[in-house]
Amino acid sequence: MKVGRRSFLSFIIGGAAGTAITPLPWKLMDDASIWSQNWPWTPVPPDGEYSYVNSVCTLCPGGCGISVRKVDDRVVKIEGMKGYPVNAGGICVLGLSGHQLLYSPTRVKSPLKRVGKRGEGKWEKISWDEAISEVAKKLSEIRSKGESHSVGSIVNADSGTIPNLFKRFLTAYGSPNFMTMPSMQDSYKMTLQLMQGVNAQAGFDAENADFILSFGSGIIDGWGSPVRMFKANSTWKANGKKVVQIEPRLSNTAAKSDKWIPIKPGTEAALALGLANVIITNSQHSQKISQSSGFESFKKLVQNEYSTDKVSQITGIDSASIVSLAKTFASASKPLAICGRGQGSTPGSLNEFMAVHALNALVGNINEQGGVWAVPEVDYIKWPEVNLDETATNGVQKERVDGAGSEYPHAKSLLNRLAEVVNSGDGSLEALFVTGANPLYSMPDSKAMKKAFDSIPFVVSFSSYMDETASNSDLILPNHVCLERYEDVPTTAGLQKNIIGLTRPVVKPQFSTKNVGDTIMLIAKALGGSIAEAFPWDSYEACLKETLGAKWDVLVENGFWSDSNSKTVSGEFNFYPKAMESLSNFSPVSLEGSTASYPLVLIPYDSIRLANGYIGDPPFVIKAVEDTVLNGKAACVEVNPKTGKELGLTEGRYASLHTPRGKAKVKVHLYEGIMPGIIALPRGLGHTAYDKYLAGKGCNFNELIGPAEDPVSGLDAAWGIRARLTKV
Amino acid sequence: MKEEGKHNKKAKKYGMVINLDNCTGCGACMVACMAENNVPFKEDESDKLDSITWMRVYKLANGESYPDADICYLPRPCMHCEGYHGHSPCVSVCPAVATDYNHDTGIVSQIYTRCFGCRYCMGACPYHARYFNWWDPVWPEGMTKYLSPNVSARMRGIVEKCSFCFHRHQLAMDKAFLEGRTELEENEYQTSCTQACPAGAITFGDLNNPHHKVNQMVKPDNKHGGRPGDPNAFRLLERLGTNPKVYYISSKEWVRRAGDNYLANEDRTVQQH
Amino acid sequence: MDSALIPKGLKRCSIGKFYLGIALVGAVVLWGVYAMLLVWIKGLNQTNMNDSYGFALWIWADLGIIALGGGAFFTGFLRYIIGKDELKNIINYAVVIGFVCYASAQLILGIDVGQPLRGWFIFWHANVHSMLTEVAFCLTCYFGVLVIEYIPLLLENRQIDKVPFFHNLGHNMHEIMAIFAATGAFLSFFHQGSLGGVAGVLYGRPFAVREGLFIWPWTFFLFTWSAAAFGPCFTLFVTRLTEKITGKKLVKQNVIDLLAKIAGWMMGTYIIAKIIDTWYWATVTAPSKGFTFMDFYSDNSFYGIWILIAEIVVGGIIPALILLSPKGRSNSTALFTAVSLACIGVLINRWVMVLQVMAHPVMTFENWFLYVPSWQEVATTILPVAGGIIVIALSYRYLPIFPQEKELNP
Ligand SMILES: Nc1nc2c(c(=O)[nH]1)N[C@H]1C(S)=C(S)[C@@H](COP(=O)(O)OP(=O)(O)OC[C@H]3O[C@@H](n4cnc5c(=O)[nH]c(N)nc54)[C@H](O)[C@@H]3O)O[C@H]1N2
Ligand SMILES: Nc1nc2c(c(=O)[nH]1)N[C@H]1C(S)=C(S)[C@@H](COP(=O)(O)OP(=O)(O)OC[C@H]3O[C@@H](n4cnc5c(=O)[nH]c(N)nc54)[C@H](O)[C@@H]3O)O[C@H]1N2
Ligand code: SF4
Ligand code: SF4
Ligand code: SF4
Ligand code: SF4
Ligand code: SF4
Repeated sequence: MKVGRRSFLSFIIGGAAGTAITPLPWKLMDDASIWSQNWPWTPVPPDGEYSYVNSVCTLCPGGCGISVRKVDDRVVKIEGMKGYPVNAGGICVLGLSGHQLLYSPTRVKSPLKRVGKRGEGKWEKISWDEAISEVAKKLSEIRSKGESHSVGSIVNADSGTIPNLFKRFLTAYGSPNFMTMPSMQDSYKMTLQLMQGVNAQAGFDAENADFILSFGSGIIDGWGSPVRMFKANSTWKANGKKVVQIEPRLSNTAAKSDKWIPIKPGTEAALALGLANVIITNSQHSQKISQSSGFESFKKLVQNEYSTDKVSQITGIDSASIVSLAKTFASASKPLAICGRGQGSTPGSLNEFMAVHALNALVGNINEQGGVWAVPEVDYIKWPEVNLDETATNGVQKERVDGAGSEYPHAKSLLNRLAEVVNSGDGSLEALFVTGANPLYSMPDSKAMKKAFDSIPFVVSFSSYMDETASNSDLILPNHVCLERYEDVPTTAGLQKNIIGLTRPVVKPQFSTKNVGDTIMLIAKALGGSIAEAFPWDSYEACLKETLGAKWDVLVENGFWSDSNSKTVSGEFNFYPKAMESLSNFSPVSLEGSTASYPLVLIPYDSIRLANGYIGDPPFVIKAVEDTVLNGKAACVEVNPKTGKELGLTEGRYASLHTPRGKAKVKVHLYEGIMPGIIALPRGLGHTAYDKYLAGKGCNFNELIGPAEDPVSGLDAAWGIRARLTKV
Repeated sequence: MKEEGKHNKKAKKYGMVINLDNCTGCGACMVACMAENNVPFKEDESDKLDSITWMRVYKLANGESYPDADICYLPRPCMHCEGYHGHSPCVSVCPAVATDYNHDTGIVSQIYTRCFGCRYCMGACPYHARYFNWWDPVWPEGMTKYLSPNVSARMRGIVEKCSFCFHRHQLAMDKAFLEGRTELEENEYQTSCTQACPAGAITFGDLNNPHHKVNQMVKPDNKHGGRPGDPNAFRLLERLGTNPKVYYISSKEWVRRAGDNYLANEDRTVQQH
Repeated sequence: MDSALIPKGLKRCSIGKFYLGIALVGAVVLWGVYAMLLVWIKGLNQTNMNDSYGFALWIWADLGIIALGGGAFFTGFLRYIIGKDELKNIINYAVVIGFVCYASAQLILGIDVGQPLRGWFIFWHANVHSMLTEVAFCLTCYFGVLVIEYIPLLLENRQIDKVPFFHNLGHNMHEIMAIFAATGAFLSFFHQGSLGGVAGVLYGRPFAVREGLFIWPWTFFLFTWSAAAFGPCFTLFVTRLTEKITGKKLVKQNVIDLLAKIAGWMMGTYIIAKIIDTWYWATVTAPSKGFTFMDFYSDNSFYGIWILIAEIVVGGIIPALILLSPKGRSNSTALFTAVSLACIGVLINRWVMVLQVMAHPVMTFENWFLYVPSWQEVATTILPVAGGIIVIALSYRYLPIFPQEKELNP
């Protein structure tokens, strides 16, 4: 058949028309859209059986109750637990993101042994048996050399069974070096010890106070138990209670307070004493308290050294404001003064704590409704005495490497001194355990800390995540994350009541991890002898059940146990302990750096959207960070527009920030809420470890600041550092 | 808009009241929303112009200099604008009916599989409550485990926004139906952000129901486009006629004034009514 | 083969020169196609658009070329409905240009949507309340009309015309062209208008929103009017450009003069309406929503009041005055300047009605949103322009577009 041009064209046109009236193109069009609605690379969350499990969040010391929504054995959502005494259903950004940590790519999925150089990131997977025997072998070696005291541990806190298992382990092994991460609670405890002679936590009956005077405490920025403080703040608002915030920066707390009084940073103690002076001069103080020992000396101190005019000069607050603040504070029916800057993650100057505590005492609110309570620790951990063998007996009597208890007699742990002591060669550690803490990120002068770690031959991390400390260790024996494990959570963060919460396994462990309680017991058992005997339990769970005794059932049933009636301890109040003598001539904690080369003062600020402790921000939380805090890869430094103008810096431009300890490239955020001459950086950024959602974003404030030893407590009193900001 | 005109007597008007005096700017509402609604995340979320946050907490400043500066946080979900008879700015423009105003609940829906990504609705929404999926959503290995089956994950190329956690409404209605009821109790349907807010700053409920807290808090006047009766209450950009169902309360005049645009010498309280 | 395709009696440049030019433009097309594929495969993240700037360069290009393509419907309207017979000498070219513009617009829309495979939902799940639905339907139908108008031109190709069937088809189609022209004019009236409506109905956007008549905001009528005014200017602009490139006179001056005069009148009246509209919006509409006029033109680094002056005075009043004066029309440079300015003016108008609308912050605590298009956006915007040049060049080379060409170039 001959195909002519004409028949060919007819065929083409006819074919096209014919195809168009068949269902084919329409079907294809429909199929294509259906395909786009079901792209195989867009996940379809599988359905399953729904359930809720109650537990307790351990991501910060807040100790909130959580209700975890599950579908089959998957966690799909974490919510605040209704009726839980700490958070009453509320929850914070971090707690909400706990499931992202559970399923995080940054988790350590099995025991790991370093194969490359330290911090190089080369690891070998090993079995749990190998890991335990590796640790035991090393520890036996050290012990057999009679060096048992050169083993130390860094633990997140010192209450609860896990820290106590570590303490017990070190004791049985023969080392005094049980160290904890520092916080304002250390300073509060010491204050209560020095001024009231009691061994207790400071608890704040915040909900019942009617005038809250906060010396820089981030009431709604994560201070204390965060969710509880948010709730208290709303209660105050609903009932017309007043909050006065004293700090150099308009923080969220300052903005939400009834009055923000900017103060020259570092002079808070002087203000507290100046207020005390006005109160005493006006005889507004509680009459009962004037009988206390040291009252007369205290009165002399404030009247001679803290006259309103002088305090005005020191603090930069005008005299009239000081007088009126003192009057309103003292005439409130339930005034409460609190301190501990920001989230209270640094201990701060003891003078400040004592001065503020004295202010509370003056208005008679110690152990009173709406006041500060001395809350004794719940003593539910009653384990049999450890039988010490000879090595252990010798070891525990040695001086601690950080000088706590010796150089600084009141201190229990001074981790802030560790870097300097180790780096100066005055003390040495052969082995170090780290659990629930990330000191290489969160201790001031983290670079010095890293150097100190480098000189410790054997570092074992129990971290669940590949954090900065874990990445620089020799061996990682990963703990379960909180959604996978049992743990008792005695809540200590400023609660006026003893509450123990129960963290419990919500889902099966995702990886080959172990509860750190079990791990430490296995190591003890591998070491044998009296060390093994100190741990008579079959497992951590058995230990926990036995320890909690009758409380266990209550915990399983309700999720928490709380003291039926609140307990406080009251000792003899001493207004003017010897430790306060240094206040007879006020000098603020000196700042590192010279004014000439560092004309500005750099302070940190805390945000509830930035976790700055052991846990780093999970993806959801870092997503919620504002672009004026983190912008691209740069952290933003807050600068008053006036200061910015002087320095020729405009909004959003890059600048180079120098302090005597380090430097960082930052972006400028002009903020009218910060005192001219002062600049502020957020804490919680600048991770080098974790996943791509967190690592490499912003700079770590701790790399820019160094510790300053408080002369009395030995704790870190630094609140800022001198700095220079230049255009780049 | 299919239902236009057919106004059910029992129609609900779900809405929100956010007390800005209590709001601490903590962001829990943002994260609670992301967690509830399978909102994806990517490596860099610091460019807020392409960061999907159905609930976004804005930081407002009073414009004064130190030390008179003041700030206030303002959480912004979708306002579920009613406009004039359900003629929401975004619903009326969508060419494919991929977003709809439900006259029974007052909720503005978004149908992901219908949306073809023309973004006209985004241009129409003055609140920037609508977000486009510029990228395929990608979760790191293992993390898809936490995705909730109640809300589908969205594909690239389409628009999404706050749904007032509509699946929670559906679940509550299902439960009520099984129990032989057609009405929900106030606490049976609450949004994820409301539930999470540690400051208790958000209240959610039926604005038409005088027994619901939201109604009592702002006393909306339905005869006049839902304008609030409470002098401290206001809505964002009310003057545009969007008739939003999210109300704010603030004791500060500068905050209330920041909620809308006013000419220099205009009295807010007069203009609002 | 090539010479056999060229219309009898008309001179064209050498095949080598022609296809070298086509190859150069073709390279630009390939660049555009590459960008287009990137966008289709990887998604709209290839652009610099964002959640605040959801409409950007492409939608501007879309509105812009549709306005410029308005020459087709309006010239057709004048020729077939009003009976301005002289315009038969330019109508073919107007149709080709219109065809190119509308094809480009469709292509851009296909790239611009986030889910191109579901683009047809706009027809299947149509929302009658949406201006965009109106745009989609009218635009597509009108494109169909343009295809029908373009086909008889194609059929006039020397070789195709040899086939009796096509010859007769072409002839018969010419006979009924008035019906299509009328349909086209009607459809165009609506889709040009609904494109204006797209912005005008955005009552959440004080910069765009306009009051109006029934369901149509004033921008609806302004867009139709401006397309009718400025579209012929673009036809004249391209015609003049073609004449310059080919070095030949293609259309007689009286034809040019007539079209220019009509465009001048349309433009003059349009600009008066536009000024009244702007005035009313600035003094009544905007203040009622809490904005002063200058709120829209300050506090940002781009959208100053200059843009309004450029649009109304430089791109409106000045070209209108030139086109309305017989002296201006008869001076070739003045005429070319006028139609060029007019094209720029209407492009600025469409730019403002899309991009400034997105850029202006509505909530008091937001700032102006500015954006710079990515290269992929630029390339895909240039793609249809380059494609259009090729279609126009091929059409000119192989089709008897200009009835007066032979006479003017003996
Ligand atoms: N991606 C995506 N997935 C979805 C949905 C979605 O929208 N998108 N929708 C979900 C919803 S709402 C639903 S209900 C499900 C539906 O999911 P399916 O229940 O899987 O629905 P069908 O695809 O209709 O398949 C039903 C099967 O029953 C067979 N069948 C038909 N009649 C009879 C009969 O009389 N007897 C028997 N024995 N078999 C019969 C059909 O041939 C077919 O194989 O899909 C769900 N899954
Ligand atoms: N041709 C055909 N028709 C069918 C069927 C079929 O197989 N073929 N199947 C039938 C069946 S079994 C069913 S169940 C129905 C389904 O019919 P519909 O219930 O209409 O289902 P969808 O259209 O998938 O979505 C319902 C609504 O849920 C909203 N939605 C989706 N995700 C979310 C979210 O995350 N949050 C909120 N708040 N809203 C969301 C959407 O916006 C939409 O408004 O269709 C029925 N009709
Ligand atoms: S405040 Fe702390 S304990 Fe409470 S939810 Fe947040 S991270 Fe968890
Ligand atoms: S969760 Fe509550 S307090 Fe926190 S930002 Fe949202 S509304 Fe404000
Ligand atoms: S806030 Fe925006 S997205 Fe939500 S209903 Fe209103 S216009 Fe639509
Ligand atoms: S982007 Fe989707 S929802 Fe928005 S207007 Fe277009 S089709 Fe409708
Ligand atoms: S109502 Fe639901 S969807 Fe809307 S912002 Fe709140 S949590 Fe998100």
